[in-house]
Amino acid sequence: MSKTNDTNYQTVISVGIDIGTTTTQIVVSRITIRNTAPGSSVPRMEITDKEVVHRSKIYFTPLRDHQIIDADAVAQIVLREYREAGLTPEQVDTGAVIVTGETAKKENAKNIVESMAGLAGDFVVATAGVNLESVLAGKGSGAAAHSREKHSVTLNIDIGGGTSNIGVFKNGQVIETACLNIGGHLIEVERQGDRITYISEPARAILRECGLSWQTGDMPGLDELKSVARLMAKCIIETITTENVSSITGELLMTPPLRLDYRVDSIMFSGGVADFIYGDFRPVSVSQVSEYGDIGPLLGWAVKEELSAAGIVPEKPGETIRATVIGAGAHSVDISGSTITVDKAVLPIRNVTVVSPFVKGVPESPGEITTAVHRAAQRIISDGSAQFVAFAMAGPAEVSFAAVQELAQGIAQGAADFISRDKPLIVVVEKDCAKILGQCLKIILGDKGEVVCIDQIVVGEGDYIDIGKPIMGGRVVPVVVKTLVFENTGARKD
Amino acid sequence: MNLKANISNKVFAFNSVKEVLAKANEEKSGDLLAGIGAASASERVAAKLVLSNLTLEDIYNNPVVPYDEDEVTRVIYDGLNTTVYNRIKNWTVGELREYILDSDTGNEDLKQLGRGLTSEMIAAVAKLMSNMDLVYAAKKIIIQAHCNTTIGVPGTLAFRNQPNHPTDSIDGIMASTKEGLSFGSGDAVIGINPVEDNVETVARILTTVKEFMEKWQIPTQNCVLAHITTQMKAVEKGAPADILFQSVAGSQSANDAFGVTAAMLEEAYELAKVKGTGTGPNLLYFETGQGSEISLDCHHGADELTMEARTYGFARKFSPFMVNNVSGFIGPETIYDGREVIRADLEDLFMGKLHGLPMGIAPCYTNHMKADQNDQEIGTMLCAMAGSNYFMGVPGGDDIMLSYQDTSYHDDASVREILGLKPLPEFEKWLEEMGIMENGRLGKRAGDPSIFDK
Amino acid sequence: MAAESQMEQLIVENVMKELAKRGLMGNGSPNQVEMPEKAAGAQPKTEPYRESGDDPLTIPDITGIWVPNPENLEAIKVMKQATPARIGLYRAGTRPKTGAMLKFMADHAQAMDAVFLDVSEEFLQKMNLFLVDTMAQDKEEFLKRPELGRKLSREGEKMIKEKCEKNPQVQILVVDGLSSSSIEANVPDVLPALTQGLTAAGIKVGTPFFIKNGRVGVQDHVGKLLNAEVVVSLIGERPGLVTADSMSAYIIYSPDENTVEADRTVFSNIHQGGTPPAEAGAHLVDVIKRILQAKASGMKLNQ
Repeated sequence: MSKTNDTNYQTVISVGIDIGTTTTQIVVSRITIRNTAPGSSVPRMEITDKEVVHRSKIYFTPLRDHQIIDADAVAQIVLREYREAGLTPEQVDTGAVIVTGETAKKENAKNIVESMAGLAGDFVVATAGVNLESVLAGKGSGAAAHSREKHSVTLNIDIGGGTSNIGVFKNGQVIETACLNIGGHLIEVERQGDRITYISEPARAILRECGLSWQTGDMPGLDELKSVARLMAKCIIETITTENVSSITGELLMTPPLRLDYRVDSIMFSGGVADFIYGDFRPVSVSQVSEYGDIGPLLGWAVKEELSAAGIVPEKPGETIRATVIGAGAHSVDISGSTITVDKAVLPIRNVTVVSPFVKGVPESPGEITTAVHRAAQRIISDGSAQFVAFAMAGPAEVSFAAVQELAQGIAQGAADFISRDKPLIVVVEKDCAKILGQCLKIILGDKGEVVCIDQIVVGEGDYIDIGKPIMGGRVVPVVVKTLVFENTGARKD
Repeated sequence: MNLKANISNKVFAFNSVKEVLAKANEEKSGDLLAGIGAASASERVAAKLVLSNLTLEDIYNNPVVPYDEDEVTRVIYDGLNTTVYNRIKNWTVGELREYILDSDTGNEDLKQLGRGLTSEMIAAVAKLMSNMDLVYAAKKIIIQAHCNTTIGVPGTLAFRNQPNHPTDSIDGIMASTKEGLSFGSGDAVIGINPVEDNVETVARILTTVKEFMEKWQIPTQNCVLAHITTQMKAVEKGAPADILFQSVAGSQSANDAFGVTAAMLEEAYELAKVKGTGTGPNLLYFETGQGSEISLDCHHGADELTMEARTYGFARKFSPFMVNNVSGFIGPETIYDGREVIRADLEDLFMGKLHGLPMGIAPCYTNHMKADQNDQEIGTMLCAMAGSNYFMGVPGGDDIMLSYQDTSYHDDASVREILGLKPLPEFEKWLEEMGIMENGRLGKRAGDPSIFDK
Repeated sequence: MAAESQMEQLIVENVMKELAKRGLMGNGSPNQVEMPEKAAGAQPKTEPYRESGDDPLTIPDITGIWVPNPENLEAIKVMKQATPARIGLYRAGTRPKTGAMLKFMADHAQAMDAVFLDVSEEFLQKMNLFLVDTMAQDKEEFLKRPELGRKLSREGEKMIKEKCEKNPQVQILVVDGLSSSSIEANVPDVLPALTQGLTAAGIKVGTPFFIKNGRVGVQDHVGKLLNAEVVVSLIGERPGLVTADSMSAYIIYSPDENTVEADRTVFSNIHQGGTPPAEAGAHLVDVIKRILQAKASGMKLNQ
């Protein structure tokens, strides 16, 4: 007896690049994928190990001024770190560039992401968004793993230069995220001096609340700076301890507040500011505080004070300042199920817009399926915004041959107008049925177009995905989901 | 040597000792499959009568597989204590039975006797014993062995915690391990049958279990029941194994099919001594079962009981820490129903002990046998009365990886309470500290696997 | 607030789906904690029996956690998700609780029935499969004498020669093996998926039929008889208590006298809780294409 596998084991090089408000970092990870199915079973490929093999230095994010990222300088950093790691762009299999925090609001953030995608290997993609950032930081810091090991709820707060990203994990899975516009770099101070060089918008709200009206060039005293940092810290603590936040916290929240209708067992801090929460930093003068040209160290100290006042003892994270980039490098890529239908020639495909044609499961008749698929595709394609569309669905209520056959007929007809030689039919199902669904679709489509049908990936309306070239002897494809389902469901602040 | 007998005016004549041995057996489907079993109840009794009159020397002169052709026969004969044998070689098998059952024959006598018996002689006497004979005789023999703890201490009953998982999921294995420990199961060994026989899987499971044992200071042994060569490679790479496992059989050709030789087992024992984590001196774990040689067609025309006895003769050379019999696992073509499996379990327990082996029994059954939970429970209680050193412990009695039924964590605790038996001493102390046992019974925290996730 | 509630719903849905996929979810809530209470039937019932109109009783769901006041309920939930083993079901003294005992008995009954009952005639008619016997006369002989299940009966040989297309590229067999119920559960999805895929690839598929009391090796006999290039057997696996409906596919390239077990390519664990049957059928198409191309199966295919 034997199993018919080409490959049972493969490693993939994944790169994470985090361009943040204050710092830019690169991390190279090695992801191990294995066939974990027993001997004679149909193979099941799973990610079994993630190991960080190279950590870059921590660079200050190169900016031309406060509004524009210096794309060339960022590219130089990436190239230099590739050399350090002994990598060429071709060796990189997958990964993510993320522009985070305040930086994501910069004018050319979108462009830089595009230029980076070409430079950073075949499959490195861009992604941003505060909720995703919160998830990545919590995975990178070790909070997700902590919650899994302890069977508990672990809340991670990644305090960076511009934002505080909060991710709540239960048994390894994210259950809630939030983001607060507070960070160590919102007020910039002359390095090792005491003159204010920049005040961001959110910082002005804090100053207003403190009854201060500083301008660039002012030289505040340590006590005044401390009171500003304390208020920032109070807002952070409030966000993680109560749903009924004060008006200033509400103003700074970039997402709805946390529900907190569960018990939080542990709290962890990551991000650049975290080192000052866990360290023994004590502010003695403005010039000491402004070592990094901002109020980051002071904010760390203030959070520590507020924690102690609230009687909270934080858990130590595995990573602090590198949490988000490790999250991006090692935790953004997923793999499809192991029995799928793909045409290698059309992969990789980037920036596929996901539509969910069925609101409540697959309809009864092929006619209804056709109508729903057609309507969903029309919605996206008619305005010319999407080049590639993927139809996402849970799959038939029961994966029987007859049900799959009907589904395939419905999809093929509904999508007929949108399929051409250079536009394959892309279907993403949750249930393990992509091989048979793909087989049915291929038979129906004949030579009208190619089929990419993958399973065991959960995506929803409005997500963007990248589908990589097949690995593991063609059995699975890497998939990067660039936006999480719950980020696109509308409401921000209400 | 008289190979003829008259039963109810019918004369039965046999051609060889091997044929007498086969036909004297209680009914087993495997012997019928091989075409060597008795054709009628009368023929069976005739064979038993002939057998009872054979001398031990007759049997010595007629091993079921010739010495020159078979490594197992050589191991048995080369290891025989000739002083003891010469003293008793003129006994008939019937006299041997009576000596074993004699009230004045005790543990030490039987252990010494066993050294002078070949496996065929032990098989022969088992064929002349009823189920109660087997329990009575086996109960007298006490065989202890030591790895990290001592197994077989009188008044104790130990268990192998068997937390198998269909995909070797570490989380799944540890979940069942915790459940079993919370019922007091695991003092014999925490032993996992892996699905994937590779070094990485074996090392991963060994390491996880060992770390758990160390974290909770559990006095026991760990083991992963892959092929012995895979375990050896894992140990050479630094994986922590207290005891090494292998399935063994009663003929060289059957052992070939298992991919094992005496030299390989000696090498494994040496490796366990120098690189293993077990204290010793007993560092190996064997599994055996009636019918494996017949399923593999490696039985040389001998019956499955005699082949099983020869397996013990082979195993005793390597001073194992535990030998486990899984006769009920092989299938209906060798053991058809509950009656056959209970008989086989009692025969095997007696024969193993008379060979000087620290025996445990898995009174198990598969779903294509005509057996059920009641048969298994009867077998378990009888084997416990007969002084089995240990049983298996499987969550809910359902092994989700090997797809068969074996004694459950519940059964483990039940048998101890029914017969007033205790866990191995160090383990009992640990159970009491954990609140799992109180005053020799399950305590308040027993049955809660999350006591390890405080 | 919509975002949160949708997210929560999504998470809950996914958990439920996952549980259902792993077969961990019965009718009740997946994580119910059942506290030990006196059985409802403790009061004596004096009323005479009468038709109550209640729904029939069902076998207790063992996906819940029955440990009273566990140290860490969350941990047991995670444990139960990690394994289909019967854990977290507590005890009555040292013995299993009544619900756990009944569930075990029900699962064993299902497993026994899978082995000892035959595939129904209605099923064979519906699937348009004719029935062929092996040398094994009945279930008892089939179980006790494995070699008889590897040979077709005389009658069976004759029937196959009459009814089947000769020299097919692929001959599909349905064999009861050790689980008749797995055949009824999986063949309706595997067979059409397999036939559709092979036919679409332009492969000549022979006439499928059913073999009663058959073992894996019977495919060699059929292969030689029909001069089939590849024989695929869909055969019932020995049932476990987790499922009695698991089926395997054994594939052999050009079997002859020298065929050994290592020459067979095998895929096991085909059932709704393992590899879903329709998906397995499509997967087998790929494997058979490779076997035809390599002109080898089993270990030889992988070399």
